[in-house]
Amino acid sequence: MSTAATAPRRVAIPVPVRRRRTRHWRRHAIHGAGAALLFLALLPVLWLVQMSFRPNADILNAGLIFAPTLDNYWALGSAGFPASFLNSLLASTGSTVLSLVIGVPAAFSLARYRFRANKQIAMWILVTRMAPPIAFTIPFFLAFTWLGLMDTVSGLVLIYLTFNLAMVVWTMKSFFDAVPRSLEEAAWIDGAGVWQAFLRVTLPLAAPGLAATGILCFILSWNDFFFALILTRTNAMTAPVAIVNFMQYAGWEWGKIAAAGVVVLLPVLVFTFFVRSYLVRGLMAGGVKE
Amino acid sequence: MQAKIRRRQILAGGAAAGGLFALPGKAPAAGGAKPLQGVTLNVSCWSAPYPLMLAKYIPEFEAQTGAQVIYTTPSFPVYNQRMDIALATRSDAYDVINVTFIYIGRWVGAGWVLPLDPYFNNPKLTPAGWDAADFLPGTTTVFKNAAGELCAIPWIADVMMAAASRYDIMQQAGFVLPDTFAQMPKMLAAVNNKDGLPGFVTENHYGWTFIGYLQGYGANIFRNPPHDLMPVLDTPEAVAAADFFCNLLRSYGPKGVLSYTYDEVAAELKQGGMIYTTENEDFVAPMAMPPSKVQKTCAFSMFPAGPAGRFPQIATHGWGIPIGSRHKDAAWQFIAWSMSKELLLRMFRDQGWSSLTRRSIIEMPEFRQKLTLNGYDVAKMYLDTVNLGEKGYMAYRTVPPYPQVDREIDIAIGNITSGQMTPKAAMAAAQKNSITQLHRAGVKL
Amino acid sequence: MTAVTWSAEQRRAFTLGLLPALIVLAAVTLGPACYLVITSLTPLTPLTPGSGLDFSTPLANYSQALLDSSFVHSVWLQLELSAITVGLQTLVGLGLALLLNIESRFMEAVRTGFLVPMVLPPIVVAIIWKVLYTPGISPLYAVLNALGIAAGSLVTDPATALPALAVADTWEWFPFTLLMVLAALQMMPKEPLEAARIDGAGAWQMFWYVRLPFIRPALTVVVLFRLIDSIKAFPLIYVITNGGPGQATEVTNYYAFIQTFNFAYWGYGSAIATMMVLGVFVLSLIVARLGGTQAVTE
Repeated sequence: MSTAATAPRRVAIPVPVRRRRTRHWRRHAIHGAGAALLFLALLPVLWLVQMSFRPNADILNAGLIFAPTLDNYWALGSAGFPASFLNSLLASTGSTVLSLVIGVPAAFSLARYRFRANKQIAMWILVTRMAPPIAFTIPFFLAFTWLGLMDTVSGLVLIYLTFNLAMVVWTMKSFFDAVPRSLEEAAWIDGAGVWQAFLRVTLPLAAPGLAATGILCFILSWNDFFFALILTRTNAMTAPVAIVNFMQYAGWEWGKIAAAGVVVLLPVLVFTFFVRSYLVRGLMAGGVKE
Repeated sequence: MQAKIRRRQILAGGAAAGGLFALPGKAPAAGGAKPLQGVTLNVSCWSAPYPLMLAKYIPEFEAQTGAQVIYTTPSFPVYNQRMDIALATRSDAYDVINVTFIYIGRWVGAGWVLPLDPYFNNPKLTPAGWDAADFLPGTTTVFKNAAGELCAIPWIADVMMAAASRYDIMQQAGFVLPDTFAQMPKMLAAVNNKDGLPGFVTENHYGWTFIGYLQGYGANIFRNPPHDLMPVLDTPEAVAAADFFCNLLRSYGPKGVLSYTYDEVAAELKQGGMIYTTENEDFVAPMAMPPSKVQKTCAFSMFPAGPAGRFPQIATHGWGIPIGSRHKDAAWQFIAWSMSKELLLRMFRDQGWSSLTRRSIIEMPEFRQKLTLNGYDVAKMYLDTVNLGEKGYMAYRTVPPYPQVDREIDIAIGNITSGQMTPKAAMAAAQKNSITQLHRAGVKL
Repeated sequence: MTAVTWSAEQRRAFTLGLLPALIVLAAVTLGPACYLVITSLTPLTPLTPGSGLDFSTPLANYSQALLDSSFVHSVWLQLELSAITVGLQTLVGLGLALLLNIESRFMEAVRTGFLVPMVLPPIVVAIIWKVLYTPGISPLYAVLNALGIAAGSLVTDPATALPALAVADTWEWFPFTLLMVLAALQMMPKEPLEAARIDGAGAWQMFWYVRLPFIRPALTVVVLFRLIDSIKAFPLIYVITNGGPGQATEVTNYYAFIQTFNFAYWGYGSAIATMMVLGVFVLSLIVARLGGTQAVTE
């Protein structure tokens, strides 16, 4: 692949992206290093998982050989976890749907039409990301008390809009930016309205992005801890808050606590697996500007 | 376990104590509606032994009255924070709550809990023989508001005691349970790390566990509560007390002693995970009962005396009704039931422990005998301490902004024990910050 | 491509598409923000009726905060925590990205695996690290001992508590920096690299003079986002240290939480939250200016 020694500096030699001058063993070495580092990185999670299968008598035992048991998981059924899971599910789904319904049209509008306030809107969205949750929690807490929205799933859905809506608009805009306008224009020429063209042409093309964004919304809502901690008590308590309650109830029985942790992280892992490539694209589109 | 998951669980939400779920209301044996049919009561208390034990009997209450009880017992700090928020917003989320000892001034003082006189004085609402006067005066005075009305029914007057989990080790080293502060370091130095065990542990709520030492050295938190609330945390006596206490933790405590919460200490005591402690009776007494591993090697004594005297701390908690509750009458029925002589006696007989604020229970010979733990007359220690408390040194607890000062003390002890500050500097900081907090709370000093 | 002229109808359609989002965003962000600032001018607390309308000393909360040694201390701690954790995340993410910058299906799978710490619920991350930092049930101390480091409990030692939290936070978020830097690296045109290689540049020079300038905008975005998010660190502190030992991990966010929700100083808490938002805003401007603004704003 080396060019002649006399080749000038910036010769545009079309080099296939995938071919690099790495030797075979170097490639394998890097693969090995990558796998090893991944294992190291995931070790904490694996430790938690193995703890969840340990009988409590064995927890302090440093050895790795033990007789696995599902007792810790059965104990979760009696601690109000099923109810909190349902709440998490409802709040996350509700927030995702609401954010997408409101945010996607806005993202499309921002992508296609140069509003005068584009820059300001972008700045505003960035600023809302900046605020620590407590900045929103205090006003929402006071408002919810008066409005009777304390300890309700709808209340959570409402406050989750503070981070989901901005994220949807920001992310979907970059996906829509990547869809060529020419296709919509063709539809317009055929007489379709703006939103008809959007639904028929753009949205199907941006479907992977939509899926990724929706999943991201869901994950962000599921993972929320602070808002749920302050704004829920018993009726709308979500899974992350239930774990904290459970930690004291379980009397420092680490096996049970580990089981609770595993149960709460499973949905997120499953979702992440199914949309992994979209997730990465979504994250990157959200941050890196072209 | 799965068989116990009932439909009610979907509604229950928060953590319930092990093995207890609200059973669906059973059909009345004889026809006719039950008094509280269709009422859902939200009851919450922090995770102390009595509330946890009470959980077992709640299904009976539900069966008798037809009510549905959602019972949650979070940890102490979580409970207090949630309850403070709920009460501050006059929420209707809870019907029966625990009035926590360091929040009495705040919650009762602000009028966030109902006076209960109209309830227990009303023969229609309270069964005859319930006997409201049966509760030890030392336990009820703290719950009286400015008008003299009782705003909570005390379920515990937990006293600070000293206890050994491995008294055998102490005896082998040639020591007995210390009666004064001066005797402690020598004993602890001799037993520390024997059998791989730390000599001394206590829970990290130092605003509670340290005060007995503070007052034992002749210092105090406020100059003259409840009238003169000027903090006096930086006096030489206070600094000396802090130095002494933190030295105990630092020299004889385990790794990470600062992270030990009360439930961890209670669990460890039963496992024989430490040799000596000064802790609540509620947490040390179970050492002598199954399933504790140290039933034969535990020992008990009154809280040791310092140079200025013996000041064992007393924590009174009681059941109360928030003013926002929508089921006040039903809430009272729960309180009356859970604190009835019959139930408490049954609990005592079944589980060896109960709520110990009723004179009728404490004066029973059976009580005396059952509370003779491993040969120690713990009942007498308890009563002696309650009597001592009548002297009034616990008045600081009833000060409304005490939670803020409580936190400053926690921080100061943490700073000293971890070596971040000297006792003098840390107590001076606590003093300064407490004054700031009191000002912020609107207190005139 | 031909220029498109917008008909009035189309303009209206786009405006209508944008409007609901703007209205909702205003309601859920601007509204509360205004309310937060207004509340910060009062000594609002439920213990004092009418305190919500007491504007007699509007800046009292702010001056109190600046004079409160706990608050000032918390700000320093926050800066320290943010510096350590963002620094570590960037280094680790950058290092890994450079190492794993090969195209292969195996690497794609590996990269997916690295997503895990980042998508876990933060509360579970807090539990994982609470377990890892508790002597007796964690292999960490055994490993440290084997390496010759006699460590007591890392989170009750004031010298190590904050860095220990930073390590946990880094573990949670390095995948973010890893993925972002990787994306930037892969978008890099090959010509400058080839040219440099032809000129005989070594690996370090390739990195410093060729790759780094190219990924600098991406790195700035990464640092900015991580900086903003580091201020929000809460579950780790809530579960592992509670602000302790003493106040060694009581960062501003946690301090505000205690003041607002333990003691019900709602007015005071609002003032602190307002200052936090302003502080983060200023920090972001500084970072953006240092890194090249075009990467951040549109």
